[in-house]
Amino acid sequence: MAEMFQILAPDGTVNKPELVPAFDKIEAMYRQMVRTRYLDDRFMVLAKKNQMGTYAQFGGQEASQVGSVMALQPGDYIAPMYRSTGACIAYGWDLHLVIMYWRGHPEGWRIPPHLNMLPIIIDIAAQFPHAAGVAMGLKMAGKKNVVMSWIGEGGTSQGDFHAGVNWAAATESPAIFVIENNGWAISVPRAVQSKADFLMRRAEGYGIPGYLVDGNDLLAVHHIASKAAEHARAGNGASLIEQITYRMRPHTTGDDPKAYRTDAETQDWIDNRDPIDRIRKFLILEKQWDAEREVALKTEVEKEFAEALEKADTYTKPDPAALLEYAMVNPAPHLIEQQQVLADRIRMVK
Amino acid sequence: MTQLAEKPNPISEKKVMTLAAALTDGMDIALERDEKVVMYGEDVGVMGGVFRVTTGLQGKHGKHRVFDTPLTEEGILGTAVGMCAVGWKPVVELQFGGFLYAGLDQVISHVSRYRYRSRGRWNTPMVIRFPYGGGLNLLEQHHDSPETYLTHTPGIKVVFPTTPYDAKGLMLAAIEDPDPVVIFENIKLYRSVKEEVPTGYYTVPLGKARKVMDGSDVTLITWGAMVTQCEAAAKAALEAGISCDVLDLRTLVPLDLEAILESVEKTGRVVIVHEANLTSGFGGEIAALIAEKALFSLEAPILRVAGFDTMHSPFNPINHFHRPEPAYIADAIRKVLEA
Ligand SMILES: Cc1ncc(C[n+]2csc(CCOP(=O)(O)OP(=O)(O)O)c2C)c(N)n1
Ligand SMILES: [Mg+2]
Repeated sequence: MAEMFQILAPDGTVNKPELVPAFDKIEAMYRQMVRTRYLDDRFMVLAKKNQMGTYAQFGGQEASQVGSVMALQPGDYIAPMYRSTGACIAYGWDLHLVIMYWRGHPEGWRIPPHLNMLPIIIDIAAQFPHAAGVAMGLKMAGKKNVVMSWIGEGGTSQGDFHAGVNWAAATESPAIFVIENNGWAISVPRAVQSKADFLMRRAEGYGIPGYLVDGNDLLAVHHIASKAAEHARAGNGASLIEQITYRMRPHTTGDDPKAYRTDAETQDWIDNRDPIDRIRKFLILEKQWDAEREVALKTEVEKEFAEALEKADTYTKPDPAALLEYAMVNPAPHLIEQQQVLADRIRMVK
Repeated sequence: MTQLAEKPNPISEKKVMTLAAALTDGMDIALERDEKVVMYGEDVGVMGGVFRVTTGLQGKHGKHRVFDTPLTEEGILGTAVGMCAVGWKPVVELQFGGFLYAGLDQVISHVSRYRYRSRGRWNTPMVIRFPYGGGLNLLEQHHDSPETYLTHTPGIKVVFPTTPYDAKGLMLAAIEDPDPVVIFENIKLYRSVKEEVPTGYYTVPLGKARKVMDGSDVTLITWGAMVTQCEAAAKAALEAGISCDVLDLRTLVPLDLEAILESVEKTGRVVIVHEANLTSGFGGEIAALIAEKALFSLEAPILRVAGFDTMHSPFNPINHFHRPEPAYIADAIRKVLEA
């Protein structure tokens, strides 16, 4: 059995003191974890109230997403999937745009020019070949940047998983492929996906470094992701990381986990392996954090969310014309004709 | 409203079912009747599918008959080809129509060609089923209507049940059919339509359209959830004194051309409605067939009401402009009458 890399034990005590990074870095990541957890819970409430569409929560995977994405440097690329909202926020996605994206507002779908963020992919595993292409392109252009992409353990069963990882490996392109193994693919448990004990074992077959990491240990996730990023940046090619974590929330707004897993299983993760509790305990043990700062952070995040929501709520209503925009750079005649059809339809429902 | 001629023995017991429940009932009976029928896909076992259409089937028929698979559409569809080769009858579920693309190579290159390629040695009598269609504000790729990719692929039957009675009968007919059959299950219709359905076995033949409303002024030709939209438009038109002949095609392949031509010859005015985008949509095929076979019966140009030529809009507040609404159909009815 492969050993799961860990720096912090679940009780917050340190296994590998020599690998603990500077406290300001840890604090910055901790803040993002608290922030993303708060936002994730608020988004679920919005979705339940029909003020957002179907939403995929990442609650429980904050260490896995924040710790990995914060190993990147300016100019690096990300190729997210539907569960990567936490990573996208920590990467710098503007909050009101995040809300508008999940509301299905066309302006929320517009990816701001300051972010090297590929679109969120719903079609499982397709982001991996895209990431491989970005990586190969960066390498061919002589750039020092890298790309990071995430996938669920279910997604590793897709052909696109193989196509992407193998490609980046074969071309020695600067990609970091992260498997967020959260135990479940909707109702399907990990064991259905593969006979292997760990999915990172495939790295050997691809000829690249593979890592098994405690995905709820922020420091472990960050350490390995940084190592893989340096490896890529130094021109040594791709890595495959499997982060063992848990989806503490339903699959999406529409899902009821009672249909396939026990509350006790989920509660055990919540009580004993929450990634935020673990790093907070560590910071408090190290006297780097206290209740007062926690309250201040909560207040800050609440205010930020309220402002972003206000901005999203008061944003100009979507223009139906958006439906036909961006279909083609130079719209073919039938698309121009359909603009008239759209105008007629708008008139008809008025 | 279903054609009376197809109703089974009237003494058979009946139960009110939603379209989803009728599909489940059909699959249940198929599992019971034929031990070679197996069902698999993502989340179909324990959970019974995201729309719960396979609910209870694993519990009743066992994990060897109804089971969850690794997450791969290429795998689900490709293994179904192999399963057929050794005598099984796979009824596989894709989680949404938009995920057909992830396995489309298997459908186009293999499911449809195995028989031809082997001069009849290897058949692919599988059923591929999935939820499709817009109107629920789900995520991108959860609202696609990908029928054109399949109708354009030789050798595949394409079925669109729109009533619970049809859903069960078409499901049983599809499972028995020796060719590969794809069943499009509309997500809006799953639980919004209910009717009495016989509890026993019966089939609804593939290739027979259903007359939803009888009229003489305009022919509305449609399938899937657009049947409901056309019915609404036709009812509104009737109040204004215009009567529409509304045809639910039920299956696009095989196509009930006879029913289409009979109606066109009666009304001379045609509106074709589909949810998929316009260009190369199946509406174009129907219009071409009418032009070939009944041009001189036409009193007005054929009109099509369809989605725009973009991906299905993920823009929740405005995507109802994309998906045909009764008002757009009513407008087309007016236009063919004015022409
Ligand atoms: C190609 C494709 N098939 C099916 C789906 C439907 N689907 C959405 S999420 C999901 C399970 C994914 O599980 P996993 O890869 O472990 O990621 P997680 O949701 O757990 O983060 C499925 C089957 C999809 N989005 N794309
Ligand atoms: Mg998972």
